[in-house]
Amino acid sequence: MASVKCPKCAAPVPFDTEVKFVKCPYCNSQVYLDRTGAGLYYALPYMVQENDAVGTFRRWAAGSTKAKDLDKLAQIAGVKRQYFPVYMFKRDVNGVEQVLIETAGSTTLPGLHNLKVPAGDLKMFDASFDVKGAELIKPDIEMMAYMNNLPGKPKEQALVYFPIWKLDYVFNQKKYDVVVDGSSGEVFSSEFPTRSSNAYIAVAVVGFFAFVGEGLLATSSLAIAAGLMAATVIGIFAAALYVARRM
Amino acid sequence: MPDISVGLNCPTCGGAISIAEGENAVNCPYCSSVLFVEGDQGVTTIAFKNKVARDSAMTSTQSWWRRGLKARDLPKTGKVIETYPIYLPFWRTSTRVAGWICGYEERRHTDQKGNVKVERIPKESMVLQDYSYSEIACDPGDLGIRSLRNLVGESSFADFEMIPTFEATTSKDDAVVHAKTDAVSKARSSARVPHVTFERLHVFPRALTMIYYPVWVVRYNYRDRMYMDTVDGITGQVLSGRAPGDPLFQSLAVTGGSSLGGLIAAGSIIYGSSADDWRIGLAGLAVGLVVLFLAYRFFRHGSERIEGEFKDKKATMAQTLKQVQGVAKQLEGLR
Repeated sequence: MASVKCPKCAAPVPFDTEVKFVKCPYCNSQVYLDRTGAGLYYALPYMVQENDAVGTFRRWAAGSTKAKDLDKLAQIAGVKRQYFPVYMFKRDVNGVEQVLIETAGSTTLPGLHNLKVPAGDLKMFDASFDVKGAELIKPDIEMMAYMNNLPGKPKEQALVYFPIWKLDYVFNQKKYDVVVDGSSGEVFSSEFPTRSSNAYIAVAVVGFFAFVGEGLLATSSLAIAAGLMAATVIGIFAAALYVARRM
Repeated sequence: MPDISVGLNCPTCGGAISIAEGENAVNCPYCSSVLFVEGDQGVTTIAFKNKVARDSAMTSTQSWWRRGLKARDLPKTGKVIETYPIYLPFWRTSTRVAGWICGYEERRHTDQKGNVKVERIPKESMVLQDYSYSEIACDPGDLGIRSLRNLVGESSFADFEMIPTFEATTSKDDAVVHAKTDAVSKARSSARVPHVTFERLHVFPRALTMIYYPVWVVRYNYRDRMYMDTVDGITGQVLSGRAPGDPLFQSLAVTGGSSLGGLIAAGSIIYGSSADDWRIGLAGLAVGLVVLFLAYRFFRHGSERIEGEFKDKKATMAQTLKQVQGVAKQLEGLR
């Protein structure tokens, strides 16, 4: 756990991320943590394990906009566990607090258009933090490079490592990749095999106009129209069930 | 590590004082003077006690599986993989809006000869109301929660060490700005003045609190896919979630929607031609198409049921609303 020097007795005082006050374990005095001048390292622990990440991918792949049966047909070629860095700056701009998220490196994540610090339990990132074998992507932009160009006065600045699962999969001989946020399970993707809406639209439109026609016909011959309507209901239902299951 | 620690002394006697997280009043143990603590510029922090046990979170999830057109075999096939509580941070504000909104309402009267007379009714309305607003103070990720429905709970930091706490990463001043916008728009709609000619509203942000709210995250498996839902740690209700849909309900929806929509359209065309007013037929056709469109949306995207404030759900809802509004506007223009 990270520690600060007690201003009263100079003993090391351990502290956690969310606290503003800590008590010195030696002299018992209360210490306020002023983060304005420090550059801190935070990390989010994994809350989604490998199996859950693959399962989350399958749920996402079964979604209505993805190719039919992508969840079953996608061949997972690799699952990587990585820690991805971003900078988080809290600034005081003329009395207004602003939070700015900036890129920490040249690597980008597919589908993550707006950088953010994902939801999670921020922990101090130090020697005792267990990355559980994840690959650490090193930032290649210095924090100081931003510090001088940001508006206002610093309140807090941190490098935040967030956990991701990077999945590579193959569908119809084409390779795709997708990122699952290891903290909240959000899925990011820039390109994926899509499903056509044509069959769905066709069923709905054919059904609609058949009923308009049959409704108009009902004024002249009610019996024929009723018979046709019954047939249309069965036909549309059968077609819809087929489309919903197979297309 | 640079020096980031600051000692706390009593401003009256200089003695060392101790403050627990979340407290805002403290007694100096030496000179017993009462001290008011202003933390991060007036933000009070409270945490609610988690009242829901693991088992009841699972029970809520399982009864939620049976509701809302989810896959029929979900209660049988679904298997809860893990259930864990988290604390989610929320900005909670109270904003007072005071002022006046003036304007008029238009009413159309048609007499027997078909002459249309427009009556203008002047309106003035006083606004004096407190609005409470909450928004999540971190990225919502894929939890489907953006605001609090329940604001009552037993305040306690007792579980704070045991439950993973999601940290606040958004700006409190942004939250205040959102709260102001929200309060003004609520005040405006509460005044019920359709055409506004004059408006003067004053907005006073009154209190800003950081609430740590207990939420159970339930992850469950259905046919090798991983779904999730969240359960309120105080009321025990399901707050948000994703669940598999059922092709049967999708097909029923499109069958019902196309038949109902088609018959509405046909009926109004017939009625319109007998009443010799083509506009009735056109309006009926539009209503029928809206019904068809809503049914189609469910047919196309009903394979996953999404409840709560998820990003991918918001998009479809907004689109639906826009579509319906567009049709309604066109009708308005035709009248």
